[in-house]
Amino acid sequence: MNGARILDRLQRLSHLQDLEMMIHEAEDAKAKKAEEEMGFHMRGLEKLRAARDKWRAQVDPRDLRLFDRIVKRHLRAIVPVEERICLGCYVTLPTSVSPPAGDQDRLLTCENCGRILYWLE
Amino acid sequence: MADGSRILRYLDERFFVRDLKAKTKDGVLKELADYLSKDREVRDPRLLLEMLKKRESLGSTAIGSGVAIPHGRSLAIANIKVLFARHKKGIDFEAPDEEPVRLFFLIVAPPQDTNNEYLPLLGQIAELVKEPAIRDRLIEAQTYADLAQVLEGQGS
Ligand SMILES: [Zn+2]
Repeated sequence: MNGARILDRLQRLSHLQDLEMMIHEAEDAKAKKAEEEMGFHMRGLEKLRAARDKWRAQVDPRDLRLFDRIVKRHLRAIVPVEERICLGCYVTLPTSVSPPAGDQDRLLTCENCGRILYWLE
Repeated sequence: MADGSRILRYLDERFFVRDLKAKTKDGVLKELADYLSKDREVRDPRLLLEMLKKRESLGSTAIGSGVAIPHGRSLAIANIKVLFARHKKGIDFEAPDEEPVRLFFLIVAPPQDTNNEYLPLLGQIAELVKEPAIRDRLIEAQTYADLAQVLEGQGS
């Protein structure tokens, strides 16, 4: 049961990061201009920000604190793991570390760079 | 004629959808995400769908002339993917010209895009579908081979 819970928490936090990235890109003048020139209208930034603020309430407060702390240092607080490599700092994870599951209560972070690890399997 | 051959690198047979069944905008997004999730590189189909829905609140990804290009970045995906789909009758996608959308290109990218491929790719697709002759041929495409031929700019 706890295993499912931690994955659910990770999914909620991951959606928050997807939203933050989308907002970040829409705020970036160069990226926004590029998309508008392609024919996309991006008038809903305020709506998107409101959706992000609302979604924050759906995230476990502990996870949110961790996320906010990491975001101050790294734009992407959550990074995927591929073949045991943290795609934030490209350091191989120690063999003692495994994907979040079972009765784990805390989200997994990279020992080297401190980012939250998006690691399913 | 715009060069679509680069787009083919991100596509394969599984990502050619001849006829979408959905009858609403959200339904289409779900169907597109479901098809793409046949790929193991989609780590979390629900996360992908939620991102696509939120992107629409920023502004519809329909660009007029019956074309929509839903797109975005998500942790749910490991590598850039493109999917092509048609909708026979056309669907209301809140397009700026209010035309029902019959042609869809879905593009999703991981948050880290080290080679900076995503925006140029999006631009190439948007450019390609601006040509009426290309749109006509895409609407006629019955198989993945037909689509590949259009993108390679052959057989016109
Ligand atoms: Zn790291």
